[in-house]
Amino acid sequence: MRLELGWSDVDEVTAAPATRLAGKRLEVDLDGLRELLSADPRLTRIRLDLAHPGERCRIARVFDVVAPRAKTDGGEDFPGVLGSVARAGHGRTLALGGVAVVATDQQTDNVGTLAVIDMAGPNAALSAFGRTHNLVISAWPSPSTERSDYLAAVRLAALKTAVHLAGTAREAEPNRVDVFELPPSPRVPPELAHLPRVAYVFQIHSHQRPTGLDEGILYGDPVRRMLPTIVHPNEVLDGAVLRGFMGRSVTTWAIQNHPMIRALYAQHGRTLWFAGVVVTVAQATEPERVRSAFLTAGLVAHALGADGAVLTKIGGGAPHVDMAQAAAHCEALGVKTTAVVEDMSTDGSAEGMLLFDFPGVDALVNVGSSQEPIILPAMERVVGADDIASKLLGETRATYGGLCGAIEQVGATRVMAEVR
Amino acid sequence: MAAGTLRVVCYLNQFFGQLGGEEKAGVGPQVVDGAVGAARAVQQALGDAGTVVATVICGDNYAAEQAERATAELVSLVAAARPDLLVAGPAFLAGRYGVACGALCVAAQAELKIATVTGMHAENPGVELYRRQVYVVQTGAEATRMLPEVQRLVALGLKLARGEAIGAPAAHGYFARGVTRNIVAGANAADRAVAMLLDKLAGRAFTTEVPRPAFPPVAAPRLVKTLAGATIALVTDGGLVPRGNPDGIEALNATRYGAYSIEGKSSLDAAQYDNPHRGYDTTWVKQDPHRLVPVDVARELEQSGAIGKLHETIYSTVGVATTLAQSARMGREIAEKLRAAGVDAVILTST
Repeated sequence: MRLELGWSDVDEVTAAPATRLAGKRLEVDLDGLRELLSADPRLTRIRLDLAHPGERCRIARVFDVVAPRAKTDGGEDFPGVLGSVARAGHGRTLALGGVAVVATDQQTDNVGTLAVIDMAGPNAALSAFGRTHNLVISAWPSPSTERSDYLAAVRLAALKTAVHLAGTAREAEPNRVDVFELPPSPRVPPELAHLPRVAYVFQIHSHQRPTGLDEGILYGDPVRRMLPTIVHPNEVLDGAVLRGFMGRSVTTWAIQNHPMIRALYAQHGRTLWFAGVVVTVAQATEPERVRSAFLTAGLVAHALGADGAVLTKIGGGAPHVDMAQAAAHCEALGVKTTAVVEDMSTDGSAEGMLLFDFPGVDALVNVGSSQEPIILPAMERVVGADDIASKLLGETRATYGGLCGAIEQVGATRVMAEVR
Repeated sequence: MAAGTLRVVCYLNQFFGQLGGEEKAGVGPQVVDGAVGAARAVQQALGDAGTVVATVICGDNYAAEQAERATAELVSLVAAARPDLLVAGPAFLAGRYGVACGALCVAAQAELKIATVTGMHAENPGVELYRRQVYVVQTGAEATRMLPEVQRLVALGLKLARGEAIGAPAAHGYFARGVTRNIVAGANAADRAVAMLLDKLAGRAFTTEVPRPAFPPVAAPRLVKTLAGATIALVTDGGLVPRGNPDGIEALNATRYGAYSIEGKSSLDAAQYDNPHRGYDTTWVKQDPHRLVPVDVARELEQSGAIGKLHETIYSTVGVATTLAQSARMGREIAEKLRAAGVDAVILTST
């Protein structure tokens, strides 16, 4: 399967009477876009803001971030959620570099899913979204809309916007084209047969919180009864997997630019053979956890024939153990593993970093502590949180977990916890 | 003393304070103005950056045999000299001395709010006892190279006293304090994970970024009675609480647990219970609390004589993002109460 991402770099985003890409300047008709998004009866009011790198601006109440992408040649955009259900991961997809769509959550409960983005100051450098031009969507639920439906509507608005913006590159000559091409897993050319076969085990949701009916995660499926399954890495890069509504330190943007899949592609055919991706969910009960762990290991070892596997998690503590259990089952089948963990300590002690100790699960990379305090310096403008803007303008205390894009559990970030 | 230089107090044992050898190990705390004995090396290392205003000395045996009293007396001697920094030792491999240095540093930090630093050999028992609370610089076993060892203590001590950022243990030569700190790595986590896997696959050495937890193994005790004669208690970290959560057990990172009577109850009425746990989907437990705390089945077993008695109190807390220290404390307290109540065995249900 072959996927081409045609990148058009953007270094300026402005409000304009028509939405178009003029060289590296993206002009957006904000009124027209608002009208497009207002068609959703679950939303009553929509506000759009632009926030630029270097501006003393804080985006608050961040719910998710989406990378602008649009399919060409009749491909479906975000299939199963925005577009019709169809296979993703092949053909040509338009991508804008330097631009992100930021969806905010205007309901006050569930503070754990909310975060901020600083466009200037020391925290801007910690997050990919401090360096992108951001189109910020604030939308309010219509009176009868329930929480899950509201979040589904907000996410859909972000996806529509992402397609709308990337569509401007349809006539443009891309600045560069990334080609992702991986043959069917067993077909290794004899001269590369010596390379170790490496699989990626991607936990895409945690059932710590049940998904809503419209909380499409895998091709629009809310993965309520999902068992481990194999997908082509291109499907993940091309909109088949979206983040659910529990947003702890994972964005849809990071999944669309999946760092682990990119890292494995970068080494494919050189130091390793990329054997494929197994998607899993973190389960809620012990029998489900064990079943999922050995089925995952079986797919990695027996179906993909992998010698090694890297694993990432989503959510909090239970998925952390769930992932390690899958890694332990892989090790038991002779598959070497490394896993990406968060520092799970809630009191900053090294003893609390890990919640498991399984044989063979001894090669761990960490994405830092989301609980470590961080100072948010004073800003001149707050977008996405009009009602609490005054609280967020001045110097504020937060945590790394509250800084969207500082910690991406799929491995996109450089923050790590060091034992001192 | 020049303005802006730091006031430093040194702590030494009888040997390094030049009172004498083992025959003087029983002497109590005393203070000398300025730098004496090994404290002269501290003054030399400080140069113009600070002045050793006093040297506090105590015999090793006195400090070891009446530790609390010695520490309290030493703290008041240190306090009287109004230092900005306390340099204790270095104690090298001397065990009693090392422990005394650690204890004094902890007390001085807490009570006098001053910076402290000490130094020891890796095998000094003071390291394991105090490295989490105190910066302990790694030294050799013996005082053969006093000045260079002291220079490293003083360099770290000055940074601490000035409130400067402290780097990684390897950079300053101190024992890891067992605390974590976010830093920015040279490559993203995905690239590091793939590189580590390739090393592991090739049989090359690799360094995990998270040490494996060194939990002491807890052996399950053998039940000495038959079940038919035993009193069984139900304990859970799954968050079951009476409606209204009377003990205010936290939804995560709990510091509290509750003890709830089930006297006279053959089962738990779902309407009377709730669950604040934020680490799992509590829908099913709220619908039927027995899915978490099986009072119904336990009562049947009690009726049929399969177990001797069901303990009339259930214990419950929320086990999510709970610190190891809090978990250990709550576990110990619950275990003590159960033992005092004559409970023989416990069914622990987790989620």
